Amino acid sequence: MPRERYQDSLDELRSDVLAMGDRVVERLDDGLDAIERRDESLARDIVDGDAEINETYLRLEDRCVDLFALQQPVAGDLRFVTASFKIITDLERVGDLAVNLANYSRAATRTVAPDAEIEALGEAARALLERSLAAYEARDADECRAIAEADDEVDAMCQHASETVTRDLIAQNDDDSWAAERLLDDVSRVLLTIRDLERVADHAVNIAARTLYMVENDPELLY
Amino acid sequence: MSENTNPQTQTEPQTGTATTDTDQPLTTTTGETDEQAQDEWTEYEFAGEAKMTVENLDVHYGDDHALKGVSMEIPEKSVTALIGPSGCGKSTYLRCLNRMNDRIKSANVDGSVHLDGEEIYQDGVNLVELRKRVGMVFQSPNPFPKSIRENIAYGPKKHGDLDTGLLARLLNRSDAEERDRLVERCLRDAALWDEVSDRLDDNALGLSGGQQQRLCIARCLSVDPEIILMDEPASALDPIATAKIEDLIDDLSEEYTVVIVTHNMQQAARISDQTAVFLTGGELVEYGETDQVFENPRSKRVEDYITGKFG
Repeated sequence: MPRERYQDSLDELRSDVLAMGDRVVERLDDGLDAIERRDESLARDIVDGDAEINETYLRLEDRCVDLFALQQPVAGDLRFVTASFKIITDLERVGDLAVNLANYSRAATRTVAPDAEIEALGEAARALLERSLAAYEARDADECRAIAEADDEVDAMCQHASETVTRDLIAQNDDDSWAAERLLDDVSRVLLTIRDLERVADHAVNIAARTLYMVENDPELLY
Repeated sequence: MSENTNPQTQTEPQTGTATTDTDQPLTTTTGETDEQAQDEWTEYEFAGEAKMTVENLDVHYGDDHALKGVSMEIPEKSVTALIGPSGCGKSTYLRCLNRMNDRIKSANVDGSVHLDGEEIYQDGVNLVELRKRVGMVFQSPNPFPKSIRENIAYGPKKHGDLDTGLLARLLNRSDAEERDRLVERCLRDAALWDEVSDRLDDNALGLSGGQQQRLCIARCLSVDPEIILMDEPASALDPIATAKIEDLIDDLSEEYTVVIVTHNMQQAARISDQTAVFLTGGELVEYGETDQVFENPRSKRVEDYITGKFG
């Protein structure tokens, strides 16, 4: 096949994006773990490790720019490089959200916080992220559409979790102002955690949307 | 996008009586031909008028079937790029549009080409007049070994469009003012005036390659064509001269219909409004808006060709 070096560059970009995806999923797992176990040292590792994700992001962004400038990809190749260029941004943001989770875990006292089923929510968001990366790898347009639909369930879970937490807060009728403040802190953090997990799922949908564009030139899910 | 899902029905394999297996050395098996036919996307609907309409154009050079049943409409006042690998028939096709193939003895052209609704392949067509309306610019700049001014004035003089004033005819000399106006207009339109206005009587062969090519375009403009055919007009030029020609083509398309053959796919992508892709064997495989062809070609074979997976 002609243009072998160019084809090799495309293959390499694909595998590097997937490797970045795997790393980000690991970070997200760590973030969820840190929250669950209130593991201070794990949380610190996540915060410190974000630089590595950022470096990978910049390196891959540079690779895409080189491909645009030097190889002028067209047609399916163009859509692949364009999609990858956007997908790495989503992955980098998920890395940032994992850092957020780590920071929440370090600050949480969890003495009075209500049970918002964060673990199940985290698992659902993580599953969507993994599915979106698998769809990118397999160029699976149907799975992309299925991911967008599944995001509705995650949104519903987030909505339910937020309501549970808020109701719990209202139900508390403690005269102890110190305890009330602690509760407010915890509740705020839990609400932020819910929001961030919802955003992880949204980034998964973005990845699916770019993948669908890549595979079928279909912009249906882009906005 | 719904347009991507419409299979084409018009492009059946060519099975004309003159075509035998030996006429098609580049076609392999019958099954593959059917498969290829299903992979042709040549119906291109555009807004505005068709300047030229080509129907079932077949060209043979002796036994070689160079162009197979090509049908396409060329929109007016726009740039149409013809791309494809060497030997795909794109230059042959271009030359059919002003009957330049008539000059090749072994060439046999079947089918029809209409210019503003009139068949150009019919008896009695004045070829000089046709080529005045449908001008051509070639790969290598080919100015006459004369002055810059004379290069521009030559065509109109030959066609009798200059020196028509009574004084000029009586005195048997040019109407210099009219000629110079024409020379300036053509050189300005070809974006060359500023570079040569102070040396119009210098020999054109002293210009750089890029300037010579723009002079050839100016010379083409001097007879007031409606269509300009260009056969790889920038392939012998450096990037700056190429950029000037590309800018010029863009400007020209406001007034003229431009059809350009290029081997440079990025050039086709940059400058054309619509792109026709010919593949080996003289078939037109895909024709559509340039951004669609380069972002999402409907033909698998075109995708393979433009991404470099061909062959």
